[in-house]
Amino acid sequence: MKKRIYILLFMFPLSLLANLNIAVTYPYIGALTKTIGGDKVDTVVLAKGNWDPHFVIPRPSLIAKARNADALIINGGQLEIGWLPPLISRASNPKININSKTFLDLSRHVELLQKPLNVDRAGGDVHPDGNPHFHLDPNNILILAGVIKDFLISIDSENKGVYEKNFSDFSGMWKVKLGMWKIKMANNRGVKIVQYHNVMAYFNHAYGLISIATIEPLPGIPPSSRHTIHLIDLIKEQKPCCILHDVYHSTKTAEFLKEKTGIKIILMPHDLGALDEVEDLVSLFDYLSGAL
Amino acid sequence: MKKILVITALCASLSLAGQNSSGSFDQSKFIPDISLIIDMSYVNTNVTNDDLDNNEPTSNYGDYGTFKEFNTDNGFNLNYAELALHSNADQAFELDGVFHFNPEGVEVEEAYFTTKALAYNLRAKGGKFKSDFGRLNNQHQHIWDFADAPLVYNSFLSPEGLNAPGAQLQWLVPTPWYMKLGFEMLQSGNGGTYGNDFDKKDGESLYIGYLKNSFDINDASVLLGLSYVNGTSNIIDEDGTSLYKGNSEIYGADVSVKNYFDSYSYINWQSEFLYRQMKSDDTTLYADKEQSGYYTQLVYQVAENYKTGLRYEGFLKKSNGAKISVDASYKTSEFAQLRLQYSHDDAFKQNGNYKAINEIIFELTFAIGAHGAHSF
Ligand SMILES: [Zn+2]
Repeated sequence: MKKRIYILLFMFPLSLLANLNIAVTYPYIGALTKTIGGDKVDTVVLAKGNWDPHFVIPRPSLIAKARNADALIINGGQLEIGWLPPLISRASNPKININSKTFLDLSRHVELLQKPLNVDRAGGDVHPDGNPHFHLDPNNILILAGVIKDFLISIDSENKGVYEKNFSDFSGMWKVKLGMWKIKMANNRGVKIVQYHNVMAYFNHAYGLISIATIEPLPGIPPSSRHTIHLIDLIKEQKPCCILHDVYHSTKTAEFLKEKTGIKIILMPHDLGALDEVEDLVSLFDYLSGAL
Repeated sequence: MKKILVITALCASLSLAGQNSSGSFDQSKFIPDISLIIDMSYVNTNVTNDDLDNNEPTSNYGDYGTFKEFNTDNGFNLNYAELALHSNADQAFELDGVFHFNPEGVEVEEAYFTTKALAYNLRAKGGKFKSDFGRLNNQHQHIWDFADAPLVYNSFLSPEGLNAPGAQLQWLVPTPWYMKLGFEMLQSGNGGTYGNDFDKKDGESLYIGYLKNSFDINDASVLLGLSYVNGTSNIIDEDGTSLYKGNSEIYGADVSVKNYFDSYSYINWQSEFLYRQMKSDDTTLYADKEQSGYYTQLVYQVAENYKTGLRYEGFLKKSNGAKISVDASYKTSEFAQLRLQYSHDDAFKQNGNYKAINEIIFELTFAIGAHGAHSF
């Protein structure tokens, strides 16, 4: 008898626990959802935080993770275009379908920067709706926390009080942190930087950093020698402080630029888990704001 | 006639985009995702198509090699221009249409609906579609790791694969790892084991079942699959003489281990084994009643835009050779790929002698339009 109960528990853990099971695409969304949802939600994060968010590997195991989710929260802005659509379709779970009320696209709730006027693939694999790396502006994190709070309330109104309390706690703490990061970054306003891909656009926007070039010649296109030679001249001429490099691309070209121009390379984590010391949202921005 | 109608209908639907672009009855927001993939090649081989047609079926390899789907001609080939349309039909159904235009005309490669609102992790599909049998059957040519399909696929499942009108039901089993159980009924008669000129009025069906599993060990994903198909063969030669009529079964087992080093590079070892049993006592059949074939391949994605692969394949019989293929591809972006493949095939038998086939394929594949998802 005891054995039988154990088997039932193993087969149907979700029907016995009342928690909402929420699938999210990236670790930062998981952290926000867990912060607002507290012990009322369980989160399943699909992508790894230390790998390229544009190239999440569509492993079949992700389908199993999305199979019994009660809701799905995505970054949106076409960041997931290369991997998520077939996964949603194969998970055979109506709750995560786009347009279902348990599906949330965060990009719909923030102002996107760098919306291209016209798109053409001759200009690379551009993000046609604008730059989708908006969570790297810490001011946006507060907006997103509010969006997730409203979303959780809309699907689980019974725990409205819990979500509101968690949000107001988070919001109070985050506002203090925003003030600290602002002071920390104040001296960096107007500083010129180089990146691999324009991942830091929103961070730059928030703190007045000026991104003068990217190591990739066009979005999504690996470095070319011609473009790299052009960069050497540009760096010598404009004297940017540093290369803010993501953790998932090879730093080979950046090292070459450093050798030729003496420019500093700084690894910038883009999400939780990108570097060992980045464990939560606060440590992500503590790290980013202290990196320069 | 049919082909002309298809083209007219497609042109009409696409030209909708141009009309009414700003008006009270603007429909442009409802244009489905559209993509066009063009695949072309230059082939150099030491055998002619006439030679291939005279492949001796008595060879231990059975009845493969007399026809191919792609890269058919020595010299230049336009393999296809694949037009794919995809959209939600409504809240309950998604619709997909895939059309292959080539110099001979247009083929409805796939045209099917998929459900999106069934409960219990069930999903149904209906229309003409590529079966999920085995590891490769449902893959489109432009995502293959090599320019051609394994010999055993061409031989048992036909160069077009199991692709016919029918219905499919799949269930994601509630296990902690990925497990999918599928059942399909397809109209018989698309070639290969199941007849190349089947009288469809007989209403014969293929019954297909499969179980697919996948789990991760660190950064490696392991895929294990078992597949089965049962149906009536009716193989007729060019003069209409029946060569074989009877029940045939094919059992398939596939395994792959794909280990990712980072977001852009991986090594994938993939192997598949197919066993075919033809059950009739009919003796006119040229091939063996029991056959099995396999391929095993290692693909190394070196970086975002470089990939190379090695494939070894054959049939389980004593005293004959195998085919070995090596390829390397380079992508200028996600939307353009150049591939060079060399293969050496000892399987081919002509006038009682084995004759080695050496083939070089230089293939170009381009995609425009809607961003396709990356395959696994
Ligand atoms: Zn991007």
